[in-house]
Amino acid sequence: MDISTASNPPLDLTQLPRLEEVEYLPISKKYRGMRLAFWALVQLVVLAAGLTPFLMHKLGGYEDMAEFSAWYWPVSVQMIFALLWFLEEWKGFPRRGYAVRERDITYRTGWLFRSTTTVPFGMIQHSELSQGPVSRKLGLNHLKLFTAGGSGNLRIAGLEDADAQALRTVIEARTRR
Amino acid sequence: MNMDFEAPKRQHPLGVFIIGAQFTWKVIQSSWPILIGATLGELKWYHLLILPAVLVLIGAFALLYYLRFHFYISSDALIVERGIFQRERLQIPFDRIQAVQLFQGPIQQVFGLTGVRVDTAGSSGSELELVAIRKSEATVLQQFLNSKMAATTLGEEEGQRADDAPDQEPEGQPLVALDFRGLLKVGLSQNHFKNAFLGLALFLSLFQGAEEQVSQWLDGVPVVLLSALGLTSVLLFIPGLVVMGSIGVLTSLGSVLLRYWRLNSTLGRDGLKLQMGLLRRNAFEVPFDKIHLTEWKSNWIRRLLGYETLRIRQAQAEGSGGLRVFIPAMEPVHRTAMESALYPDFNEENKAFDVAPVRRLRWLLFAAASIPALLLMTEPSTTHILLSTMWLMGVYWTTGKRYSAYRLRVFADCVIMEKGWFWQNRTVLKMSQLQGVEWKRNALLERRQIGHLVFHTAAGGRSFDYVHSDDASLIRDFALNQLHAAQPAPSRLAAE
Repeated sequence: MDISTASNPPLDLTQLPRLEEVEYLPISKKYRGMRLAFWALVQLVVLAAGLTPFLMHKLGGYEDMAEFSAWYWPVSVQMIFALLWFLEEWKGFPRRGYAVRERDITYRTGWLFRSTTTVPFGMIQHSELSQGPVSRKLGLNHLKLFTAGGSGNLRIAGLEDADAQALRTVIEARTRR
Repeated sequence: MNMDFEAPKRQHPLGVFIIGAQFTWKVIQSSWPILIGATLGELKWYHLLILPAVLVLIGAFALLYYLRFHFYISSDALIVERGIFQRERLQIPFDRIQAVQLFQGPIQQVFGLTGVRVDTAGSSGSELELVAIRKSEATVLQQFLNSKMAATTLGEEEGQRADDAPDQEPEGQPLVALDFRGLLKVGLSQNHFKNAFLGLALFLSLFQGAEEQVSQWLDGVPVVLLSALGLTSVLLFIPGLVVMGSIGVLTSLGSVLLRYWRLNSTLGRDGLKLQMGLLRRNAFEVPFDKIHLTEWKSNWIRRLLGYETLRIRQAQAEGSGGLRVFIPAMEPVHRTAMESALYPDFNEENKAFDVAPVRRLRWLLFAAASIPALLLMTEPSTTHILLSTMWLMGVYWTTGKRYSAYRLRVFADCVIMEKGWFWQNRTVLKMSQLQGVEWKRNALLERRQIGHLVFHTAAGGRSFDYVHSDDASLIRDFALNQLHAAQPAPSRLAAE
């Protein structure tokens, strides 16, 4: 390998641009409603499925199905999961946010399982805006950024139309390709 | 001989046979259930006529495919036109090419021909194979494509220089070369336990009917004899272990012989060259700047022999494993040669960070490893208590060793992650090639300011777990800074 001598002054590690200090921009409040509605819908379906045997027993169809003690276990486990999921949505929503710096974009998400991912603009191969039927009604967009190899892909969900377009222009202008 | 690739041309005429063989193999693969079904029915002699008919058909298709297959090189891409009914035109820009690999399967070896395989990192995961090219042509093509790849990645100026400059070291620095003894060593230091299962699975898949035949035979055996057989089967347990062990060792040796036969590798000026393989002989040429991750693995036996296995990973299409090249038997000399070529900044002067995981990890490792002892203690008895205390003491010692083996070192451009004590694993990546950095933790860990630092590369993500957030945020800022410093500044217009 051809190694030429490059100037390499020592770096002052305390003077590096700090990612900790950036301000995160929140995503649309409407997206919280959408996620909570989805949560409620799923819980309703699961609840209906969980209650069916009890109802059938009450209505007198299955007298021989007297033993229900084992059934409480899956029901209570499901309730714990439902609570955790709700907490994740409720407490995690204010934590969702993105920060744009001159050369990279950072996305922060999650309450129970937290993640902060930074992707440099120069490494973004292409971006994609997507909308489902519900998010189209609400005017929400999901922006997906693709990097080589796919492990660094970023999905920023629940952006208002104007924010999404602005973000996309910034990114398109700064990606190399 | 025509060495000019600019006009569309066909492969070597003998390629018809190779294409024919490939088609035959595909037909057998897709129709073997029908073939087996046919043998169960009553066969008349005229049914066998179908075989030559199919062969003629395959031959005709192979000839057509051969005649309609053209490849050539335009100013910025390798272009292939192929297909019988549905014509297909593949255009591979030079800067998308990850590696150009020459290979010789058994048929190619007989005819003295070479195949060329071009890998790209496209999300379609497409790769391209020319199956029959004269050897001299193939090397010219490989060199041409490699020089083009280097030119597009280095930028115009440097690319020009690389073309003009006479090659200072045409052969390059020799790296690992394996003779028969080396092959034996590599074969014997494989993971035999894993290979025993692999070998057994392979064996069983070859003789799928065997199980049924055995059970049929057992049905015919008289009952008294059967109980005697049952007794002996207990005695057969130890021979069974021996058989299993030898299957493992044989599979290890066999796979190593097939894969690494006459392995030879050299470090060139801007890439790694290697050849290996018995039935299918591969010749790889991997440019240094297309290497996104190197992983060094070794176990205790390997280290006694002074060997490490090197895994080179290139960019992967989403979900696929990515292109990878394994080199076994890297000795310390080879390792320093390889690392000084790939990671010139890897020396103590350039060290920016040297971080160990938090002490909590040691207790987590210990807690996870002591579960078997706790399970034993659910039924307390003298032997159980004795066994579990011994287990706990042993585990305490090994977790100490394992914990102290975790280390994250960051240099001017490269990041080195070390893990493992018995099975050692060292991953090296360059910050200038990073695709992203992630800081991952759960709510409980965050309270104690602990988390996992993930480096996303084009060859997949690699994480260093249980780091203190102060260390991690500094390393993250440093990595992003080095990454941005290696890239051209964004245009002013964009900053507007």
